[in-house]
Amino acid sequence: MATTRTSFGRDYGLQTRMLLTMFLLGLLYVGFVGALFYAGASAVIMVVVIGGLMLSQLFLSDKLALRAMGAHEVSPEEAPGLHAMIERLCIQADLPKPKVAVADTEVPNAFAMGRSKKSAVVCATTGLMRSLEPAELEGVIAHELAHVKNRDVMIMTFASFFASIAAMMAQFAFFFGAGDDDSPAGIVVFLVSILVYAISFLLMLALSRYREFSADRGAALTTGRPSALASALVKVSGAIERAPQRDLRAAGEMNAFFIVPTSVKSGVRTLFSTHPPMEQRIARLQDLETQLQRGA
Amino acid sequence: MGFLDALLGGGRKLKAPAPDRLFAMTTAQVTLELQLGLTHRSRAGIVFQPLATADFEAILKETNELLHGSASDTGTTVESADDEFGYRWIVLDDPDFEDLVVAINTISSQLQAGGYGDRLLAAVFAFEKDGKGIYFIYNFKRGSYYPFVPVGDQRRDTEHELRLIAQIGAELPIESELERRLPLWKIPL
Repeated sequence: MATTRTSFGRDYGLQTRMLLTMFLLGLLYVGFVGALFYAGASAVIMVVVIGGLMLSQLFLSDKLALRAMGAHEVSPEEAPGLHAMIERLCIQADLPKPKVAVADTEVPNAFAMGRSKKSAVVCATTGLMRSLEPAELEGVIAHELAHVKNRDVMIMTFASFFASIAAMMAQFAFFFGAGDDDSPAGIVVFLVSILVYAISFLLMLALSRYREFSADRGAALTTGRPSALASALVKVSGAIERAPQRDLRAAGEMNAFFIVPTSVKSGVRTLFSTHPPMEQRIARLQDLETQLQRGA
Repeated sequence: MGFLDALLGGGRKLKAPAPDRLFAMTTAQVTLELQLGLTHRSRAGIVFQPLATADFEAILKETNELLHGSASDTGTTVESADDEFGYRWIVLDDPDFEDLVVAINTISSQLQAGGYGDRLLAAVFAFEKDGKGIYFIYNFKRGSYYPFVPVGDQRRDTEHELRLIAQIGAELPIESELERRLPLWKIPL
């Protein structure tokens, strides 16, 4: 379900909506399959149906995401600097050159999409290009290229595919397991499949966070400048967080009365996040810089 | 990169520099000059990402001393400059083409021996025909050459490049994938 790979998902409003959408979408799959199942379809048909849904997602997601972001592909004449930067990074990362897109928005962000190295698209927003130094931008783009190299879109789509399969299996097993004594198995089946789905959903998010670390590391390896990426992360997260905070100032004063303390809240936040906390990413990049400074 | 690497997040290591196929240019240059009428500009360059670490700077310094040491025999002049993309060029000037290839190899071997082979972007050899600049770019990671013929800003003469590949392909390890024959704009040669 996580088909777009954004680097800097600290826009919590957007992130929550995305998360909810992903969860509901998955639930829809499971519900749909369940309905098919009760209608008497065989397991094979259901696997085919889920597979079909996933495949269409894999093939359409890049176009959909580009459109959703209001991004358009740019030619080397339109964005010579960005193209030249990507060309050099591709030589360094040993990748074929992806398509290059730009989204005309002030929010600094970047993402990579595409099911394979050859069909990949790397997109940067105008806000990102404006607010970062060249070396920082290079780090962010290298991070996106690392996602392409690690085939993250493909991996995450398959991971969600198996999450759906797992939920389906739970339904299947319970139907046959409880079928003998004609107990009201329906509700149990429903609950268990939801549970299985919810757990696999959390695991998928964990996988996604792990792959962010991988991409950070990949970026540091390609550019040789982990600190430049770290500084880009600081700038970008600051820029994204500052905007919503102004609106929430009134609510912010109520913070002391919240039932969940900040630390626990951030723990929950971590569990439900597609991206690791910024501090952790920066700490790991700092480790890489230390290694580098010690000498190869 | 294998399936398992992709599954495990890969990206741990960059592809190691390919075994040295750089020297193929020494013989290819003779063919380029005698049969195709391309004269070399007595210039070649190597471009890499400079690291801001003491170890890397020590290796660069050592390399520079090595180059200047041999310069008294070969007459190769050495300049270095950073470009607008943050990459460093070491530009070599020598009318003897073979000396250029040897000097490029000295630099790349030094960096590779120090564990910084990953930082190498490319080596570039400059030629010309009828006043038009023609470059041969060597990709260290893939151990392959490809011609690059820029015309004006952000445009390249692909037809000319393909023709050159057909003409010299037997003598040089040519980059086989079209999408990896990436341009290098503003070559200072």
